[in-house]
Amino acid sequence: MGMRITNAQADAAAEDAVTMINARFGGSDVSATVEHHSNALKMAFVRIVAPPQHWVAVAKHLRFDLNANYCSMVTGTHYPEGGAERGWEVVYHLMRQPVVDQAPHTQTVHVAEALKGADIPLEFEVVVVLPQGATPSIPSVQDIWVGADWNEKETWDLVGIQFEGHHNMHRVLNPHDSPEGFHPLQKQHKIRYHDFNEMYDDAQGFGRKPSDEGRVK
Amino acid sequence: MAQMWITMGPQHPMTHGLWTLRVKVDGETVVDTEAELGYIHRGVEKIAEARDFTQITPYCDRLCYVSAMTWANSYIYAAEDLLEVDVPERAEYIRLISAEVQRLASHLMWLGAYGPDIGSLTLMTWCMRDREMFLDLLQELGGSRMHYNYPRVGGVKRDIPVGFADRLIAKVKLFEHRIDEYEMMLDESTIWLVRLQGVGYTKAEDMVNAGVSGPNIRAAGVNYDVRWAHPYSVYDQVDWEPAVEKPTSIKGADCYDRYRVRMEEMRQSCRMILDAIEKIPGGKNTNYSSGDAMILAKAPTRAPEGATGFSHYECTRGASQFYIQGGGDGRGKKPYRLSIRSPMFITIPYVAKTMIGYKVADIPAIMGSFDPCIGETDR
Repeated sequence: MGMRITNAQADAAAEDAVTMINARFGGSDVSATVEHHSNALKMAFVRIVAPPQHWVAVAKHLRFDLNANYCSMVTGTHYPEGGAERGWEVVYHLMRQPVVDQAPHTQTVHVAEALKGADIPLEFEVVVVLPQGATPSIPSVQDIWVGADWNEKETWDLVGIQFEGHHNMHRVLNPHDSPEGFHPLQKQHKIRYHDFNEMYDDAQGFGRKPSDEGRVK
Repeated sequence: MAQMWITMGPQHPMTHGLWTLRVKVDGETVVDTEAELGYIHRGVEKIAEARDFTQITPYCDRLCYVSAMTWANSYIYAAEDLLEVDVPERAEYIRLISAEVQRLASHLMWLGAYGPDIGSLTLMTWCMRDREMFLDLLQELGGSRMHYNYPRVGGVKRDIPVGFADRLIAKVKLFEHRIDEYEMMLDESTIWLVRLQGVGYTKAEDMVNAGVSGPNIRAAGVNYDVRWAHPYSVYDQVDWEPAVEKPTSIKGADCYDRYRVRMEEMRQSCRMILDAIEKIPGGKNTNYSSGDAMILAKAPTRAPEGATGFSHYECTRGASQFYIQGGGDGRGKKPYRLSIRSPMFITIPYVAKTMIGYKVADIPAIMGSFDPCIGETDR
């Protein structure tokens, strides 16, 4: 029969983690809360909001004290209309995975319902808000998680967030000879389907001509 | 001997797609590598910002042309998190079955492509023959062979057709015997064993730290699987257990372990499908009309600014993730930002580094054992 981490286990693990984070960073601008997904099984996760100057300290705490050993995803977002304080946002998704090296001819077979404490897989979402500006920048965590390396490369390449201290930063998805400062996921770059002209019936705007620029129904 | 850089790809059979592996060699030994990706970057994340939530599904199908169903499902769970939708249980069962059938088809494509890498052309023809059975099944659901556009926010596009269950059971039972045939052919082939065993060692903790996931982790001896660790469907109600190997060396899992774990995973998928089709709520030979509350829940089409959706999904190659921020164009009808985490995008650079120290002739064996797919890598 199949097994799964129960909602109660995930809740308990998330609450433990939030207690530890708030004990370590209480009084600073770092805040941690237990949140729940709204899909399928409504599992719990930990959301942390941290200012950029505390990000590396938070990352080390998560990696070495809470055993968040897997940096799965780095998302950068551009908010040109977000006000002076919130021009950019970087979201890290980290996971805790109960994975250990094996001696030869052995294996670890976890039984989900029997996992306790820091062995329970848990999801962390860290939101770092950066102020408005042409060159958003945040410290790199490449030396804490090897897995952050290519995620950060991608985020710089597509969104233009600079990761201070990142070793060997280069274009990964865009061509290597892309113009400097070109990061296609910034909001000033529009694709053909953005703000399509509604004078035509085709919702995708295939019939739109350059001379129709600015005309509305 | 002088060291030199040689370039494998973008048109090398080892790549299983379009990318470049630059290899620094000293004689026959690999001393450094560098992966170059991005040849088929299509900007799906940008395109999604100008599409509403149902229109994004076909683009997610096309993220991976070998495993369209799992990628579309992966996106749908994130959209359901964002839009706060509860899915009927019958739809969850259908999604589980479709995803596992897709996993069989995808692993067969992997095995079929891996065989010629190693020198067994028979494997290609056998795997394509069996994969056809599962593509036919998926075609019955989605209407086309590769890109199905099948899941919907709140359920699935249409119910399983009458007779689908019988065909599914017959094909899966036949395929369980075929897995034995593959093993008889491969595990007794000297070439297969010599080229896979003792090659491409990777350790579990290194892989987790580097962001590698899925069957590659389970090959190293831990049964960590998103399907139970970050559960999302009805996997706890059907009969299965995660495939896991016992690596033979202190150095971790080799190519042979990764081949074994995928064979075992196909067995588990068969087991899961056979159990799920019997347990499906509403009956396996009932056909509800499209849009019935048994298979599709009503879902909102707009998400407010500040709402986020996230999904963590066991794709055939590892853990895929979607992160969506709501409040885009059309008063929230479109995502403000959609971000995709592809397992192979992280795995390929890691694998390139694990090749250091092995011979040039081992490169196809090591790379192929991780099952690269460039459609999802470049997005």
